[in-house]
Order: sequence, then structure tokens, then C-alpha cells
Amino acid sequence: MFYTRQAVRPSFAFLACCVVLALILAACGGGAAPTPASAQPTGAGQPNPTELPAKTEPVILRIGWLGKPDTLNPAYAFLTESYLIFDLILNPLVTEDPTGKYVGALAKEWKAAEDGLTWTFTLKDNIKWHAGTPVTADDVAWAINAVIKDPEGWAALSNYVAGFKEVTAPDDKTVQIALENPIGNMEYRLSFLYTLPRKDFEQFKTPEDLQNFANDQAIGTGPFKLTQFDKDKGILILEANPDYFDGASKIDQIIFQTFDNADALVQALKVGDIDLVTEVPQSAFSTVKGFANVKAVQTPGRYFSEMIINSVPEDHDPPPTRNSALTDPQVRLAMAHAINKNDLVDVVLQGLGKPGVTIVPPILGGGFWYNSDIKDVEFDLTKANQILEDAGYKKGSDGVRAKDNVKLEFRLQFPSDNPLYPRAADLISAWFKEVGIKTTPQSTDPDALTAAITPVGDYDLVLWGWGPDPDPDFILSVMTTEQFVEGGWGDSGYSNPEYDQLYRDQQLAIDKTERQKMIKKMQEMVFNDRPYIVTWYEDILQAYRSDRFKGFIESPLGIESQKSILQAEPVP
Amino acid sequence: MNRRDYIFRKIVFAILTLAIVFTINFFLFRVLPGDPVRAVIGRNVPISKEARQALYEQFGLNKLVFPDQYFDTLGQYLQGNLGVSWSLRRPVTQVLVAKLGNTLLLVTLGQFFAIILGVTLGLLSGWKRKTKIDISALTFSLIMWAVPTFWLGIMLLALGSALLGLPTGGMIDPKNVNKPFFENLPDVARHLILPTLTFTLVYMGEYMLIMRSSILEVLSEDYILTAKAKGLSHWQIMRKHALKNAMLPIVTLIALNLGFTVSGVIYIETVFSYDGLGKLFQEALTKQDFPLLQGAFMLLALAVIVANMLADILYTYLDPRVKQV
Repeated sequence: MFYTRQAVRPSFAFLACCVVLALILAACGGGAAPTPASAQPTGAGQPNPTELPAKTEPVILRIGWLGKPDTLNPAYAFLTESYLIFDLILNPLVTEDPTGKYVGALAKEWKAAEDGLTWTFTLKDNIKWHAGTPVTADDVAWAINAVIKDPEGWAALSNYVAGFKEVTAPDDKTVQIALENPIGNMEYRLSFLYTLPRKDFEQFKTPEDLQNFANDQAIGTGPFKLTQFDKDKGILILEANPDYFDGASKIDQIIFQTFDNADALVQALKVGDIDLVTEVPQSAFSTVKGFANVKAVQTPGRYFSEMIINSVPEDHDPPPTRNSALTDPQVRLAMAHAINKNDLVDVVLQGLGKPGVTIVPPILGGGFWYNSDIKDVEFDLTKANQILEDAGYKKGSDGVRAKDNVKLEFRLQFPSDNPLYPRAADLISAWFKEVGIKTTPQSTDPDALTAAITPVGDYDLVLWGWGPDPDPDFILSVMTTEQFVEGGWGDSGYSNPEYDQLYRDQQLAIDKTERQKMIKKMQEMVFNDRPYIVTWYEDILQAYRSDRFKGFIESPLGIESQKSILQAEPVP
Repeated sequence: MNRRDYIFRKIVFAILTLAIVFTINFFLFRVLPGDPVRAVIGRNVPISKEARQALYEQFGLNKLVFPDQYFDTLGQYLQGNLGVSWSLRRPVTQVLVAKLGNTLLLVTLGQFFAIILGVTLGLLSGWKRKTKIDISALTFSLIMWAVPTFWLGIMLLALGSALLGLPTGGMIDPKNVNKPFFENLPDVARHLILPTLTFTLVYMGEYMLIMRSSILEVLSEDYILTAKAKGLSHWQIMRKHALKNAMLPIVTLIALNLGFTVSGVIYIETVFSYDGLGKLFQEALTKQDFPLLQGAFMLLALAVIVANMLADILYTYLDPRVKQV
């Protein structure tokens, strides 16, 4: 009773408000219409003829994106968007540069001891917090030690300090990290361990308290300061840090605006409401290319897609449920011959990618880790037919091959949340049909699919993809035996003791060439055993207003990365 | 039965319904395949086993779904605590309240214009039956009713932003985010134009069609004939006799719609990146964020139930027959 009354009254008040709003609405609509100001490249400030010359107006870069950071607290940040902001407002000791090499961020130089158990870093000069106080080696050490001491609280980062013993600061400019065992990808790991202000983060008693901390007024050392993060409205504003130790940015302010809809995002770029789009949808890329005053950027990326072939060992617990012909290497080879990757790229990706070969994408580490010696199996249906014929699979009256009463009839599943796979599955099924393999494409809820795959092993063929880390360690781990467990990342069931050993060895190898050799060998094993047939590598698609800005660095890190934005400048 | 008993009974039923919705929702989300911890952390950050285990315990997922998790959650709800969102790490109530206000603003504005426009057009159509006015109004309404919300929204967005310079999304210009509320009103109004227009067009058709058929029905009644025989003018018949009786089905429709449009507005919010409940629902579902999902769906259920209850109560005033059940 009480509640209903309450609900009735405000709605009348609301009606009154509506009328007022409607009036304002009408007034604004009329005022805004005659000057399509937003369509003109007027720069950022308010256009006012009597104002000071344009140079003194702040340079504002407006970035539109389809997401927003989950939190600005690195202890519990999982979304790519969060890391993009960290990249601009925080600094680790070392960071990846656009060519895929690791360069100093806070560190001027560094070296590892002979045994690989101690790393010594010398800090750059004049590093200051955004609040103005100097950053000491002690501060850097504290932030990393915090993660080492509370791995449960720092959930998102604790993986990077596995094997770290302790961090010390022998003097103001030197940071020393002591390890329990040598770490092959030390620099990669350090690139996520940001230096955070002790006073903001040391107050939390439990992991839960630490993770609930929003850090909405994040203080860091980076080239930009956080001025505002309105999570609900999806607006995040950064301001240039004039005292940045590596030189201040020519952009005074960056505004991130969240769009929930890709078409609206593209339209906003077209009319000039925003200056940069971090992620142009594949379907819109050719349209964006045609926009006036917009530069569309296409760079090779890290994402790849693959066809997973059930490789779960027979003695696995529980035993796999699948067509047993899938374990025959000849059947796998024939399938590899029957997939036209060039067609997949042209038709499914609309040309915005490259045919895939190994599980380590060619751009990781600037190409350092990719095994370019592997020659891909060529698309050849005759050969595929021949291989199956020679292996004893004879065509039945229905055109499907069989051997010992085992028909080559497979399920071909794919997650329902990706628009590319239905098309790919149709194409693959058509090619397979020509070599006497019958596949039934089936769209499946991604969670249900994960539940059926790991560790149950109830599937035949699955189309899916990965967005690997900048370091190959993670994507290589996916193929290890120990990952094919409940909650693990494995999805092929591939189990090869030699591969597992190589994986452990490369983690300890501090000599880069030696590690490279092992990683190339691992790619070869996966390529030859075919738990995955990698179908394509996707390009990163971005765009910006070329009438307003220039100088972005086009690299796999994206034009919105710290190095790129520090290079960018307004078009006069 | 008098009105007080009637209302009391309605409220008891509403509370019962909510309890059932709570229980069904609770189990529905947990029957979904998948691992909530994994869904929350996504595929971008590989986290350590210890951290993963700690999260399971923090979320209470290591406990039995029934009775432990169920009664824990129920206990929280009874204390008015909807818990903390797993992915956003903010209290669910805080998140919902922030979004609900915005959604209500859009829904109320949109409904207001849709009702005014729909009812007026319906009246006019019914009154001027089989004239050009009627046919064009009818066609227009039918088209608007049938057109997909999403498509209409995108078309209006493309046209509005290109021709009129209207904003492409959001609730305010990012530059104004720090300004006080009243200074931002014109900006907020500008951002509301296109979403409200979409909403109005989409819902107007339904009101128009119902109003038209309702008025036609009333106009064929005997008492209208009597009124005509008495020599009343067309306008007097409309105002005094037809309109009041023809409004009854509209009241039902408005009440039902108030509940359902909160979920129906999701499309419009998504097209215009409007900061309402729409995007929140989608995110909560993909992240399997149980506390947020539960809170959001309770809110939806509450909206539908309260709107229905209001309609029932309003009926006791509008239609004397309902009072004496």
C-alpha cells in the first residue's frame, strides 16, 4: 500500500519534468540544427571567433571503444581495456615496444646474473608520481613484493611473480629481484608488474578488501594522469603529465567514450564525434576505408582460429567420446589437405587476415618466436582422397569413406558467440564432403562446449580461437598435458611427454636463442601431430581521423598504445 | 470484499510471486553450464591456481548449491543486501540504482509521447473512420509496430547524427561529465532526442491500434445512439461518453507495458549506448555474474509485478464493477 502510493506520486512529478524536458529538447533541437559543427574538423575547443589563437586550445584526443575497464585496480583487472589504461597511466620496469622487443620503462638498464637467479635494474632519472613526489627504488620493490606476498589478493598478477623470491632496493636507483629458479620470459612478466603507490594499496587486510578497491583516483607514474573515470556513463578522461620523465605528450587530454554498438561507433567516427576507434568490426572495415578524412589501419594481430581435433588419449579418465578414426594420423593429414585456408581468409575474414600455420602467431616478439621453416600442407583434394584411399578408407554408396566399419563421420562444433565460424564450418564441410568425410556443423553455447570438451573429451572437431599473450609461453601451455583438467586451458587433449618437457625447459631458459630453438621445435610437434589445424591469423582493424591527428605508430600493440600516443600529434 | 482487502490480497500475491521468482532464478543461473570464475576472468589474463581457488571460496562456490548457497543468498536478500557483483566489484544495489534511474527517464519520456501520440491518433482514426486520415494513420502505426527496434534505432542514429548533428551515443558529452546536474540538462536532453524518438515510434503503434478498435467498439454502443438522439454534438459525445469507456483497455496496456518496456528498452539502450539496464543485463549474463544477474532479474520481476498491481488497483477506481468482486 505504502509503496504503491510512493510509486504513483513521482510518476506525476515525472510527467511535469517531461514537459519541461520536452521544451528544452525543442529549444536545443532548433539551436543545433543549422550548424553541423560536429561534422567540421574544428579541432577540440569551443569554436569562438574572439577567442585566443587555436594553438593555446587544449589538444583533445577522443577515443571510442566498445568496452571499458572492469576496474583500475591491477589486482583484479582482467579486461584488455584496463591494461590499455594502465599502459598510459602506470609504468612497469620494462615494457614491450612496437617492434616486439622489451625496452626500459622505469628501468634505464638491467642485467641478469650468470646463474639467472638475480636481476638488477637501474632506474631512470627524474621519475615522479603524478602527485609530484619522486619515485624511489623502494617504491618499485614494494609494489612487486606486495604481489609476491599476497598471491590470492593480487589475483590478476600473481601468475607473473611465480618463482620470484624477493625484491630489494640496495639504493635509491637500484632494484634487485631474487628468483627461486631462472625465468625465460622475465621481461614479459615484468611488463605487467606496475609500480603502484604504497599508501593506496597497503591498507587492505583481506584479499577481498583489496579486490573490492576501485582505485578510481589511480595515481601512477605514466605519461597521462587519470582525471575522471565514470564507470556508469562509460567515460574516462586522462590528462597529459607535463613532467613525464620520457618527455610529455603533445596531446593534452584523452577522452575514452564507451559505445555499446559497433554501428554507432563507426557512425561517430564518420561524423567526427570521435577521433580514434580501437576496434573496427570486420564487417564495417571496407566502409570505414571509404570515409573522408579517416585513415583505416590494418595490422597483423595475435588472434588466431583453429580446428581442434580430439586428441585425448584413450587411457584418459574419463575416456574420450569420439569417432576413433580421428586418432589416425593419415585422416588428420587428409583433413589438412582438404582445408583451403586462402579461401577461408578471403571469404570468412573478407581478406582481413592471413592463412594460419602454427600456434605461435608470426608477430609475437616481432617474429622472433615464429617457426617460419614450417611449410604448410597445401590444399589438394585429389591428394587428400589419395591419402585416405591408401590408408584403407573406402567410399561407401553414400559417398562417405569407412574402414573396419568406422565411417568418417564427425561432429563439427563451434561456439555460438562468434559470427565467423558458421561460414567457416560450411566451407570446411563442403571440402570434406569431396574427400568422403561427412561433417555436421553445429553451433553450440560456448559454456556448454567448454563443459563438453575439458576434461570430458566428448567432441570430434571444434572450431575456436585464441588471443595469445605477447609472450609465447601461455599459448604453448595450452597444449601441455597438465592443462587438460577441470578449469584448465587445454582443449585438444594433446598429451606428449616430450612436448611437456620442452615446455618446462623453455620456462627456465634464460638464453633467448636457446629458448627460441625449443619453442620452434614445439610448434613443429603441434603442426605435425595436428591436435590443432590453425586456420587463420586475424588482423587488428583500427581507424583514426587523419584530418586531426598524425604520427600514430601502426603495430600489433595498436595505435592507442603508450608509445604510439606519445608520438602522435595534432594536424595543424 | 472491500477495496482494502482487495489491495491487501494483491500485495500478498505479489510477495509470493517474488519469492517464487527468486527461487527459480537462483537455480536457473546455476544450472547454466560453465565456470563463473573463468567467465569473470575471461581469456586474457591467465591467473594462478591459488588465486583461482581463493576466488571460488570468496564467491562461496565451493559450498553446496542447496541448501548452503541458497539460504546464504536468501538471508542476504531478506536483509535488503543484494551482494557484491563479482565482475564489477561494486555492491549490486549501487549498480542497479545508477542504471535504473536512466532507464526510467527514457521509458517515462518515451511512454509519455507514445501514449499521447498513439491515443490521439487512435481517436482521430476511429472518429474519422475510412477516410484518408484513418488509412494513413493506420498504415503508419502498423509499420511502426512491425519495424524491428534495432533497425529503426540505427537508421535514426545515422540520419540524426549526419543531418542534425545529434550525438551518436551516451547520455552526456564526455566534456561535461564534471559539470553540475542542472547545467547539463540541455546536453542530456540533446542526447535523449533520438532514443526517445525511437521509443515513441516503436510503442506508439500499439497504443494507436488498441485505441482505434476500442473507440470503434464504444461508438457502436446503444448509449452513443441515445446521446446522438438527444442531439449532443459530435465533440460532446466523444468527450463525455466515448473517451472514458474507451480508455479502459489502454490503462491495462500502459500498466503491462510499464513493466515490460524496462526489458524492451534494452535494444534502444544498446543502439544509443545509453547508460541503462540493457547493457548491464548482457554483461552480467556473459560473465555469469550471479549476484548481478539475480539482482537485475529481481528488479525486472518487481517492475512487472508492481505495474500489474498498480493496474489492478487503478481499475478499482476506473471501473466500479471491479470493486465488488
